[in-house]
Parts: sequence; structure tokens; C-alpha cells
Amino acid sequence: MGLVSYLMRALPQLFLAGRSFPDAFERYLRYLSYALIASIISTSLFLAGPRFEAAAAPHRALALIGALLVASWTGKPLFGMLAGALLAQTLPWLAG
Amino acid sequence: MISSSFRAGVKAAVPIWIAYIPTSFTLGIAAKAYGLHMGEIVLMSALVFASPAQFAALEPLASGKPALQILLITFLINLRFVVMSATIAPYFGRVRRAALVLSSHLISISTFIIPYVHFQKQPREQVGADAIEEWGKSNFHYFLGLAATSISVWVAGTGFGYWAALHVPPGFEEGLKFMLPGYFACLLAVDLKGKGALLIGVASFLAAVPGALLNTNWGWLVTALAIGTAGWGIEKWIRRGPR
Repeated sequence: MGLVSYLMRALPQLFLAGRSFPDAFERYLRYLSYALIASIISTSLFLAGPRFEAAAAPHRALALIGALLVASWTGKPLFGMLAGALLAQTLPWLAG
Repeated sequence: MISSSFRAGVKAAVPIWIAYIPTSFTLGIAAKAYGLHMGEIVLMSALVFASPAQFAALEPLASGKPALQILLITFLINLRFVVMSATIAPYFGRVRRAALVLSSHLISISTFIIPYVHFQKQPREQVGADAIEEWGKSNFHYFLGLAATSISVWVAGTGFGYWAALHVPPGFEEGLKFMLPGYFACLLAVDLKGKGALLIGVASFLAAVPGALLNTNWGWLVTALAIGTAGWGIEKWIRRGPR
């Protein structure tokens, strides 16, 4: 398991480090990583294994919106995360 | 002597530490529930350093599934590391290959996102041909400061969680679960620039869950790759249009 994880990290470093890519390719890699990160956020928030957590989804979505608003307003991602975590914790309790 | 870039990386890692503590705690609890020994889960955290793959491997390990199946799960879930590693590699300039290969073990979702966003913010004019070696070294030190401390917190948190998290009062799961994805989302919200990138981010966010429900292993990954590729292709087509 460790070896598989390591090789997948190491091989691109071995063969791609120090190479300069064309602008279009750099933009492509950037867009891929944005897409990847956004997908990870979504699946981490709303899925538990292969199951969609329908009951918790509205609260988590609201908490996410709150977190994004705080982060955008303050310019500090950490504040956004803390506000979102607080909302995620309290919203289900408020909803009874 | 510790370089200022390394120290900057350590400072930037603080939110990751905060986010890692509950996740590694939870991993420790899950490992205990699945009957792993403390040494096994701590070693796994040190050698694999990838929470989705580690969580996913717990059940097959506990139920004695074939090693090949566990390796396949690790491969599928960690496929994103190929893209992340390839994406971040050019920012290390001409740093020695041996150092890059050794340090590549420290790439995870969090230790990729924060340095990547940091490197993206660097003004392009500072990255001239003459300064490329210094630039790459500085980026590398920043990455090391961030990633080496993060993996330490991850490994220690897993071990600590194994025996201590069982005593955390129940009822805090929602807040804990939100922290890591919430932090990634806030990072993107603050740093994501341009309509194209924003659209790609929103579309990927919305499509990931349906994609994952269609195919648990590949769905979200294929969806993300398709949206990223399509967004890039459309933008390229629009740019070419007025010519």
C-alpha cells in the first residue's frame, strides 16, 4: 500500500521536475487540479462511502455557504473553516 | 540553518494541523474498531499518508481480503497523486532529483493545495531564467516546511486518536467532519481567480456526487477530469475565436 502510494507520487517528480510546460498545458493542469479539489470537497462533505448522506446534506451545504461567505468577507480561509465547522455542528441541533 | 521559506511553510501548515487532528483522531478510532493494532495504523499513516485510501483499506484489511484487492483500492484512490505530483513538480525548478523523489512521499491533498495556491500567487516576473534555481529551492523549502510538519501531526494524531479519541464526548462528529473539506473550499473561495476556473470548480463540485454514486471508485475522478478537460478546451476555443 505504501509502495503504491509512493510510486504514484514519486514518478511524476522524477520525470517532470524542472521541465517547463507550454502555457496551455500549465493552464490545463491548473484546471484539472481545481476540478479535482472541488470534487474532493463535494464527496467528502456529502458521501459516506458509496452512500449519499441525504439527511445531513442540507445542513452541510448551509454550513459550506456560511464558511465561504466568512472566508470571502475576511479573506482568511481559517476563519471561514471555523465558522463553517461551528455551523455544521449547531445547525442539526437547531433544526431539532 | 532553517531558511525563511521553510519557516513560512511551517506557518502555512498550521491550518492543516488543525484540520488533521480530528481526521487522524477519527482514523485512529476507526482502526481500533476494525481490530488493527496501534503500531499497524501508525505505520500505515507514516507509509501511506493518504486518509481516503487509509479509511478505505480498513475494512478489507480487517476482513482479510486479498492483498491485490487492497493494492487496487490504494491505486484507484491515490490516482489523484499522479496529477498533483505532476502539477507541483515544475514549481521546484532544478532541485536535485533525489531530494524530489524522497520528498514526494509528503504530497497529500492538503500539502498539495496550500503550496500550489502559494506558488500560483507568485508574480511571474520574479521567475526569470537567472533566478530559476533559487526560486525552485525556495519553493521546495516552503513545501518541506509545510509537508514534513503536517505528516508528523498526521502520524501522531492517528496514534493519539487510537487510544484517546474514544473519550471525546459524542456529538461533535458534524463539526469534525466539516473541517478538512471546509478548509479546502475556503482556500479556493479566497484564491480562485477567473470565470473559467470558477465555473470549472462549481461544475466539478456539483457533478462529483452524482459521478461518485454512478461509480464509487472512478465516478468522481472521471467527472473531475472530464470537467477540467472540457473547461480548458472550451476556454481555448473561445480564445481562438476572435482571430
